[in-house]
Amino acid sequence: MSVSDRRAREVFIELADTLVDDFDIIDFLDRLATRCSELLGVSACGILLVDHHGALNLVAASTEQARLVELTQLQNSEGPCLDAFTTGRPVQSGDMRQADTRWPRFSAAAIDAGYLAVHALPMRLRGTVLGAVNLFSATAGPLDDDTIALGQALADAASIGIIHQRALARQEIVTEQLQSALNSRILIEQAKGFLTHSLAVGVDEAFAIMRTYARTHNRRLTDVANDVVEGRVNIIVPAQESPPA
Amino acid sequence: MERVDQDRGARVWGAIDAAARIDGALPSLRYAVSACADALSAVGAGLSMSPDGGPYEPLLATRPEVGELEELQFTLGQGPSADAIASGAPVLATDLSAMDAVKRWPAFAPAAAQHGVCGIFAFPIGAGAARIGALSVYRRQPGPLGGDQLLDALVYADAVFVLALDDRHGLSADLDQVIDAAFTARRAEVHQAAGLVAAQQRISVTDALALLRAHAFSSGRPLHRVATEVMAGHRYLDGDHQGVIADGSDGRGDPPGRDPDPPGSDGPDKQESEQAENEEEDER
Repeated sequence: MSVSDRRAREVFIELADTLVDDFDIIDFLDRLATRCSELLGVSACGILLVDHHGALNLVAASTEQARLVELTQLQNSEGPCLDAFTTGRPVQSGDMRQADTRWPRFSAAAIDAGYLAVHALPMRLRGTVLGAVNLFSATAGPLDDDTIALGQALADAASIGIIHQRALARQEIVTEQLQSALNSRILIEQAKGFLTHSLAVGVDEAFAIMRTYARTHNRRLTDVANDVVEGRVNIIVPAQESPPA
Repeated sequence: MERVDQDRGARVWGAIDAAARIDGALPSLRYAVSACADALSAVGAGLSMSPDGGPYEPLLATRPEVGELEELQFTLGQGPSADAIASGAPVLATDLSAMDAVKRWPAFAPAAAQHGVCGIFAFPIGAGAARIGALSVYRRQPGPLGGDQLLDALVYADAVFVLALDDRHGLSADLDQVIDAAFTARRAEVHQAAGLVAAQQRISVTDALALLRAHAFSSGRPLHRVATEVMAGHRYLDGDHQGVIADGSDGRGDPPGRDPDPPGSDGPDKQESEQAENEEEDER
């Protein structure tokens, strides 16, 4: 077993361990995005889920740059994730400097952020496409077939995580769980905004602080977020940071 | 397969508007609830809310038995509507006589069956920490909603949320503004801004969202743009003024020097935003 095979096995075990009864979906997808970029040797990873308007929503991103590029994609209604979602098939551009025709604004934003290649994998669950996973690379060139297969396995793990179960996911269950995941993301955004004011930090720092707090105290991220906005928890900026103004 | 459906929101809002027009009225919560019941071929629909963060109670029902069953859920502390509020996710009970439903709601499920109700589909009204109630659709026949009906119901729940927020400030927006709010309500910036305003003003996230909406309405700007300005520190929403922003929507074409912006805010607003219709506000 090669080093990367061993690492892949470890990641799947970690993800399976996370899928306990009362797991936190945002924490799960956040971990998945980080592990994806590490395991697949790409620079960043973003995860998007569809809402009831048929619009994609960003629920996790491994880096701030990836988050911004994903938002460009959503605001301009063009990009590989939207294509992967609509067609239910993987979409790739090995070199976005030459792919201006498909997604001119997305490509420009991605190149600006330092990404040259992009891959988008659909998140499928039986007949339904729940969303898509975007992989960004700082170097040009296609991913090899093994890497794409591993990426698709991770995307499938994300789908299973969202629906909680592999077996017979009826439409009602898919909708209930998808809405629950999207709503958790909204709660996280509200708590981030709350902390930007109360701690005088940026939104991304606010998220990192909240995530660290949840992991240190062994609590679900969305529970911590809920306590934050209800004023029931007093999170302070970690010591190495400058104190609030 | 899910497909991007840009028209769903417009279709749902059109149905609410049409229901209101029959009475010569403006779109409001009751027309949203009745239009939703029609769209889902239901026997009735009910809306339960928590008026001031207190206990949930039935606010609107298209027929008395729906109101009674809603009331019963809160009395018993069990049922699809009660669960939808608690979980923040839809609760779709396709057959209340089935074993899993009876196990989950042992007192409520048989009571619903006695009223001839076989399916209840409950949708939370709110977003994230803003949990204000549930919209529940009652059906006589067991069985799932169609995929399209399910998505429509979620859009009706969005509509009810926006109408309920606007109700707090006595607003009655026109269709375009409401559609804008419904479509952008899920954008990250809007919810970040709601959290920021909640912290700043020491108010609930629900009140903060209502304040953002009121400001977007009174300044005639899209909700997400107002939210982006709040996050950038360019906007300070004054919670004591019924949605009137502190930096100049109290008059038309304020000279730039008059901005009572808080420190850290950088500068006057663009005058183009002053095309707002300010008749909702009491101008002296």
